[in-house]
Amino acid sequence: MITVRDLYKEYRVTERGRGLGGTLKALFKQEEKIIKAVNGLDFYVGKGEIVGFIGPNGSGKSTTIKMMTGILAPTSGEVLIDGRNITRYRKEAVRDIGVVFGQRTQLNWDLRLEESFELLRHIYRIEKKDYRETLEVMDSILGVGELLNKPVRQMSLGQRVKGDLTAAMLHSPKVLFLDEPTIGLDVGSKYALRKFIKEINAIKGTTVILTTHDLGDIQELCERLIIINGGVMMEDGNLSEIVERIAPYRTLAVEYYDAVVPEHAKAEILSVSDNVVRYKFMKADMTAAELIRDLSELYPIKDVGIEEAGIDDIIRIAYEMKK
Amino acid sequence: MKKIGSAFAYYLGVTMCNIKMALLTIVEYPSNILGWVISNPIQFLLGFATIKFVVEQFGGINGWSYGQLAFLYGISVLSHAFSMIFFVQGWFMGFFVIEGEFDRFLTRPLSVLYQFFFTNINVFGFTDLIPGILVFLYGCAKTGFSFTASNMVGIMALLIGATLIRGGIYILLGTTSFWTKSANDFGQFVQEIFDKTTMYPLSMYPEAMQLILTFLIPIGWVSFYPVSELMGIETAFSAGGMGVWITLGVGIVTMIAAGLVFRIGLRRYESAGN
Ligand SMILES: Nc1ncnc2c1ncn2[C@@H]1O[C@H](COP(=O)(O)OP(=O)(O)O)[C@@H](O)[C@H]1O
Ligand SMILES: [Mg+2]
Repeated sequence: MITVRDLYKEYRVTERGRGLGGTLKALFKQEEKIIKAVNGLDFYVGKGEIVGFIGPNGSGKSTTIKMMTGILAPTSGEVLIDGRNITRYRKEAVRDIGVVFGQRTQLNWDLRLEESFELLRHIYRIEKKDYRETLEVMDSILGVGELLNKPVRQMSLGQRVKGDLTAAMLHSPKVLFLDEPTIGLDVGSKYALRKFIKEINAIKGTTVILTTHDLGDIQELCERLIIINGGVMMEDGNLSEIVERIAPYRTLAVEYYDAVVPEHAKAEILSVSDNVVRYKFMKADMTAAELIRDLSELYPIKDVGIEEAGIDDIIRIAYEMKK
Repeated sequence: MKKIGSAFAYYLGVTMCNIKMALLTIVEYPSNILGWVISNPIQFLLGFATIKFVVEQFGGINGWSYGQLAFLYGISVLSHAFSMIFFVQGWFMGFFVIEGEFDRFLTRPLSVLYQFFFTNINVFGFTDLIPGILVFLYGCAKTGFSFTASNMVGIMALLIGATLIRGGIYILLGTTSFWTKSANDFGQFVQEIFDKTTMYPLSMYPEAMQLILTFLIPIGWVSFYPVSELMGIETAFSAGGMGVWITLGVGIVTMIAAGLVFRIGLRRYESAGN
């Protein structure tokens, strides 16, 4: 569905003085600084996949999405949407995609939501019948029906994002790109958005690529993660496999009857509070049961809890990676 | 042919929808309307009154009678009005480049330039048509310009060509932002130059400037050369009765050139970091 081949993007930042003089100078004398935002990405996304695209700030996620959606021309390399080069055949290829950037909107700020939809209906030549049907589906998932008559500028962020998601789905795209869609959303809207992604994926088989900082989004939605840093691929694979590889440990919280801190040779103590001690141990070294057995021989145990090794650790590691 | 026809019908449908949205937006901000409807026409009528004053003092400008000047002025304001309706967005292209506003146009299956101009079609521009029509009709009456079929077609070709020349120049200027990455605010400046060079006979100006405004920047073809010919006034150019068609041709060429430069510029588009 999406093929990304040897993709590079450099931004040219011109440093120039202020005012007319600076502008004229910039026109003739190029004092450019080059920012290498994406440095040789290669991957393939199949039909119906939901892929989490993550990495620290400035790692090139948005730049990559913009190249995949035809907004930016790659410096080199190519993006194929369903076999079509999106840079060369932009007008044809973008029919197959929908795009939502969390911080921006494609809706007309001054008009009622339905007016923006009407324009899109013309642009994508959507039959009235199909339009009604899609709107009904979107209404059942997102409750967007009651927003149709509302001017976009009067909407809350959550409502606006619902409007944008619906707008992006009106022409039933094969792929949906979402760049930080949950940023700033309240819990209810976040929940609705996740439900939306799951359902369009299940009902329409829509392929979804999303960037997010939100652990819950990834945990609930993505089977596959692509982690990039400095515009380079760090990880690409099954979520649980990546967790296994990057964070092959677990955390065991043990509550004792007294304020004791028993140690174990193969476990590291992470924290102590009141009677609870948290141990971190490698899955390869021993099982949780073995650790509990050893500790209970030292002191009586009141309660235990296992924290499954962490997607949050992955996210933390991914987002804290040094450039 | 059939394909072109259906493409045309498609763009027309989208355009009607855009116009409807533009009208709805105006209704959202009714207080703006009054300003436009009153201040714009008055500005141009005052400009015309100034010409009347000059002509009464000196008996004409460079051999142009009052009626002929009115005709020229009318054509200039009319083409200005049309360029305001369809192409005024060009003035703000730099803003679109810097703020990454082309993003949403690029993700839609339509020409980016088309969306740029027609998504924000400026229906207010029609307020400039009013003084244009008034002064133009006045000029026609004074000079005895008759509305024969061929004259009507000629005026249409002239206005389309002149509007395309103006629009093409707006695009070419706006497109520089793809290279400079700054929002050059050239609108008022360019309008002033257009006003000064198309509302009055170009022959008033030094020869070097006339040459530039004929060959380098085709402003002379917006109004001066074709109108001179229609009015039977000799110029450095004899277009052999084809003046209005040359204007149309120059307009089309300017617009095509502008479209090509825009395409090259768009490849340099870098959106905006968040
Ligand atoms: N329009 C732009 N012009 C110049 N530099 C940019 C632009 N957009 C992004 N960058 C730079 O490119 C790098 C990657 O940015 P981006 O793709 O936005 O990363 P992410 O979305 O992962 O935070 C950063 O160093 C950023 O500053
Ligand atoms: Mg980003």
